[in-house]
Amino acid sequence: MPAIEARGLHKRFQATRALEDVSFAVEPGEIHALIGENGAGKSTLIKILGGVYRPDRGAVAVAGAPRRFAGPGEALASGIVTIPQEMRVVPALGVAENVLIGHLPMRRVLGLPVLDRAEMARRAADILDRLGIDIDPGARVDRLGYAERQLVMIARALSHEALVVILDEPTAALEAREVERLFRVIAALKADGVAIVYVSHRLDEVEALADLCTVLRDGRAVERFARGERGRADIVRAMTGRDIETAHADPGAASTGILLRGPLGGEPEVAVGEGRVLGLAGLLGSGTTELLHRLFGGARHAVEIEKSGAPVRLGRPADAIRAGIGLVPGERALGLAMALTVRENIVLPNLPWLARGLRLNREEIDRLVARLIESVDIRPPDPDRTVRQLSGGNQQKVIFARWLAGHADVLLLDEPTHGIDIGAKAQIHRLMRRFVEDGGGIVLASAEMEELLAVSDSVLAMRRGLTVGRFSRDGDYTEAALRAALGG
Amino acid sequence: MKGLAQIRIGWLAGQIPLLALVVLCLVASALSDRFFSPINLNNVLMQGAVMTVITIGMTYVIVCGGFDLSVGSVVALSGCIAAMAMLEAGIVAGVAAGVAVGALVGLVNGLVVTRLDVNPFIATLGTMVLFRGVTFLITGGRPIVGEDGLPEPFLDFAIERLFGIPFLVWLPVLLFGVFHWLLHHTAYGIRVFATGGNTEAAYLAGVAVGRVRASAYVWCGALAGLAGVMLASRLQSGQPTAGAFYELTAIAAVVLGGASLFGGEGKLYKSIIGVFIMVVLANALNLANVHSYWQQVAIGLVIVAAAAADRLRRR
Repeated sequence: MPAIEARGLHKRFQATRALEDVSFAVEPGEIHALIGENGAGKSTLIKILGGVYRPDRGAVAVAGAPRRFAGPGEALASGIVTIPQEMRVVPALGVAENVLIGHLPMRRVLGLPVLDRAEMARRAADILDRLGIDIDPGARVDRLGYAERQLVMIARALSHEALVVILDEPTAALEAREVERLFRVIAALKADGVAIVYVSHRLDEVEALADLCTVLRDGRAVERFARGERGRADIVRAMTGRDIETAHADPGAASTGILLRGPLGGEPEVAVGEGRVLGLAGLLGSGTTELLHRLFGGARHAVEIEKSGAPVRLGRPADAIRAGIGLVPGERALGLAMALTVRENIVLPNLPWLARGLRLNREEIDRLVARLIESVDIRPPDPDRTVRQLSGGNQQKVIFARWLAGHADVLLLDEPTHGIDIGAKAQIHRLMRRFVEDGGGIVLASAEMEELLAVSDSVLAMRRGLTVGRFSRDGDYTEAALRAALGG
Repeated sequence: MKGLAQIRIGWLAGQIPLLALVVLCLVASALSDRFFSPINLNNVLMQGAVMTVITIGMTYVIVCGGFDLSVGSVVALSGCIAAMAMLEAGIVAGVAAGVAVGALVGLVNGLVVTRLDVNPFIATLGTMVLFRGVTFLITGGRPIVGEDGLPEPFLDFAIERLFGIPFLVWLPVLLFGVFHWLLHHTAYGIRVFATGGNTEAAYLAGVAVGRVRASAYVWCGALAGLAGVMLASRLQSGQPTAGAFYELTAIAAVVLGGASLFGGEGKLYKSIIGVFIMVVLANALNLANVHSYWQQVAIGLVIVAAAAADRLRRR
């Protein structure tokens, strides 16, 4: 009997059809992956399973008994635990309190209920042991990193006698070693007979972990297969409904001049040539983001760089922009003013040459914005729409578009394809390729090694702010070598 | 077609403040046939004039992601300083001194908020109390009238008319035109909106966010200073107690106009509609002989209801 089973789920949000006739079941001790592009219906489905949404039609059964959840509390009470991406821990409390929150053991002192600390520590240690998690139950949660907090959340799930654990993109912010530890914990859950729903868009993880995999596209379950039944290309086609080619670097292309070198005297000092892509490999917290921000003048102290052979001092981003450098930051929230229109967001860094004094050159702006919207394929192609109304992929294209106005010849990209769907990802790759073909240079930071190796001409590996390896296409240019350097 | 319908509904929802003002005027005229009389309309415009000038500046500060509680104190301070300077050195010096002292207070606010990184609410709460105190210190708490009164031409400004409308009302119309253009049609305006909408993103797009934010406070202070001079002309004196609660009325007007208190959203003309919603409401309640205590209750309710309705609309 499946631990959880959904039959014929339908869900609409006003005009959008989020789910259409989706059925889904997970047996105890089974890992069932749920994959699909953004907007395919993954979150709607797990929110229905977790009691957040109610389906318009269709039914959910837990261990064979039909259930209609009035809210997430009821789902939790019947053993369905969701581990969301954002950590709902109480930072000021200890690990044990966080694991057992909601049913803390009590004892009576003078007839009054008091927290039984000894029992609490014992129970928490028990659960952590069972999962093979090596964290001190007495530690305060605000001392822990993201990965540890996630494990605390999973331990909390077990304290609830979980039948089903739903993991939503659990590895999105983890380092390689932390991913391995998480996988061991998931294996322990599985061995415990817990049914696991694993939402991800990383196909290698799904291949390594899942017993079964369901592909969602446009609200429908388009394909379901067991481990090893489908090749990577087939899965991608099922997710996107079309073939995707990745733009690969052309190692034969000649590089003539160095566009950007810097920060001078810094560690690491990087150089990128015309028509070249320099990859920065590093996991979360390795210093790649900080390096890009320093090269953009966004650091606390001014840095010296060499731009097209001439020394330039970068005290603030405006200096870098004037020198022809553009930054696409890792968090879209850092790049866009969401309440402003597409036009205003594109124009913002280009105002120095699109305005004479206060006066805007309206005609030139309209022409430029129309050209850029078409060239990067923003949908819908409406310059007056606020950026908030766009999808993640289209928002990313808006940030790209602002640097393609013709004044920047070096782009600094921080995880430009993170969290956007495969179709938009391929478009971003094409834009990058076009930019370097036109003689520009790109510094690209990414935690996805496969992507990084494919689109870069050379790769610099970083760890804790320091260079730990340089890889070029005439040497050992493989994922294995890169992983070894990063200590993954 | 569906897109078009949605845009129309969105546009209509954005015009709710204007519709509310129109309905309010109709209700007021139904309650009292004096509402549309020239004398009463003149009254409404005069009452709205000073608040309009303050609200223009407040809109800049709020769109830029800030807040300014000190404008009421600036109105009193600049009115008194303008009156004192006028008695010493003539009208031009007096008006200039009033506006300059407002701009100076704005600069202080701007620097405290941007350089010292103090929360705008607290910073301007401090300067609000501080400059009210300064006003009482320099006036000894007494109105500035002068032995023979303030200069005649200065007092005439609130009385003399052009095309039947007082100069005091023409001034905000002119200022609105200039500041509307500056906020909604220039490179500076885009930078103000971007800074308020997302300071970090604006900084990474090359905007000198500190200077932009500080400039909004300077505009707000200078306009409050000018409003203080206008009020002194109307009151025929510099009053150290003038301008009490003006900051709250101005903020309420901006919110009624649909601007976001988080910054980055707002339209200047809608803030002005917000001003006249408040003014017409008070005027209508007056005409209907509602006690002034009840007037306060009614205006308070309207502000809370408008803010709540705005949250519901955005949800």
